[in-house]
Amino acid sequence: MLVGLCPAAAVTGRVIDALWMSLGMAFVLILTSLSRVILHLLLDAPGSAGSGSRESGLLGSRWLGVLFLAACFTASFEVIMGAFAPQESAALGIYVPLLAVNCIVLERLADGSPRRAIQENGARIFRALGAAASRGAAFAVALVLISVVRETLGSGTITLFPLGAFGGTIVVSGISAAPARALLFAGGGFLCLGYLAGLVRLAGRLRNRRPRAAGEAGAQ
Amino acid sequence: MSFLGIILTFSLVDNVVLTRLLGICPCVGAPGGMRATASTAAATGLLMSVSALAAWALETYVLLPLGLDFLKTPAFVLAVACIAGLLDLAARRAVPQLLRAAGVPVAAVAFNCATLGVVLIAAKGGFTALQSLVVGLSAGAGFFIALTVLTAIREKLDVEQVPEWLRGLPLHLISAGLLAYAFLAFDRAFLSRIFQGW
Repeated sequence: MLVGLCPAAAVTGRVIDALWMSLGMAFVLILTSLSRVILHLLLDAPGSAGSGSRESGLLGSRWLGVLFLAACFTASFEVIMGAFAPQESAALGIYVPLLAVNCIVLERLADGSPRRAIQENGARIFRALGAAASRGAAFAVALVLISVVRETLGSGTITLFPLGAFGGTIVVSGISAAPARALLFAGGGFLCLGYLAGLVRLAGRLRNRRPRAAGEAGAQ
Repeated sequence: MSFLGIILTFSLVDNVVLTRLLGICPCVGAPGGMRATASTAAATGLLMSVSALAAWALETYVLLPLGLDFLKTPAFVLAVACIAGLLDLAARRAVPQLLRAAGVPVAAVAFNCATLGVVLIAAKGGFTALQSLVVGLSAGAGFFIALTVLTAIREKLDVEQVPEWLRGLPLHLISAGLLAYAFLAFDRAFLSRIFQGW
C-alpha cells in the first residue's frame, strides 16, 4: 500500500529535504496520535459531556477537532523549522504545511474509535505512540531511500546536515560529471517511485518463493 | 498576471499533479472507472475554486488585519475541511443519483493535499478575489486533465501484457512520470510566444 506519496515524489530531490520532511511527519504523527487518544479519553470518560455520544465520521465535528490539532502541530513545526533551518524551510515551501493533510495523518485520524480499546487496555496511549512512531520511521526510510537514489543519479551528490569540518555534501565521483538530471524533474520522482515499488514487490515475491521451494524439497 | 495567463499557468504549465506532484494518491491509487474519476476530479476542482476564494477572504479580512499570519495553515485546513463537508452535504441533497453513480465518497476524496496545496499557492501569489477563484478553477481543470488522462492510461495498461512485478501501481507511477515529462512541453516561454502578452 502506498499512501502519502506526494512528498515522496516532490521533496526527494535532496536527501536533506527528505530528512527534514521525515522529521516533520514524525513530529505531526506522534503529537496528533497522542492528542487524538487523549481527546477520546476525555470525551468518552463515564460521566463526561461527550460520553455516549455517537462517534463522528469523516468531516464530523470530532474529526475536525483532531484535524485542527494536526494543522496546529504542522504550523508549530513550520515555525520551528523556519527558526532553525530557514533555507531548508524555504526550499520545502508549501510541502511542510501540507503535512497536515497527508494521507498518512488523515488515515490515523479516520482510524476507528479507540473507545473499546481504552476500556480493554489502559496502555492505549503507548500503543498509539508506538504505532505513530513506527509509521513515521517507515515513511522516513522510504523517503530517504528515494532521495538517495534520485540525488545520487540526478546530481551526483548526497546532501546531508553540515557538521564541523564536513560541509554537508558528499560528491559521488563518476556520476557527478554527467548526472541524469531528468531524475530531478517532477517526472523523475514518479519514475523512481514506480521502479522502487516494483522492485520491492519483486523482492517480496522472491522471498515468498524461497521458503516454498525449500518446503517442496523437504517433502521430496 | 492576466486571466489567460492564470488559466494556462495553473492548468498546464504549473499542473497541480504533474508539476507540483500533489494529489497523487487519487490519481494513481483510486479505484473505479472513468465515471468515478470524472466525478472525483470535478468535485476536487469545485472544492479548489471555492476554497481558494474562501482562503483569500480569510487571509484578507481576518488573518492579516489581526496579525495572525502564523495561523494560516490551521485556518486554511479547517476552512477547506468545512467547505468539503458542506459541498458533500449539498451534493447529497441536490444530486444523490450522481453520487450513487460515482460510487465514491466525494468529500473524502476531494479533501486531499492538492486542494490545500492550491489554496496555499493562491495565498502565496498575492492574487485578488476574482483571480483566486480563477486560480482554483484552473488548477481544478488541470487536476481534471491529469486525472482523466492517467485513468485512461491505467485502463489501457490493465489489459496489456506487462512484466508481473510492474503490473498495477508501479506501472501507473511510471506512466505518470512519462506524462509529467510530456507536460514539460507546456513551457511558459513557449506559451507566452503563442499568446502574446498573457
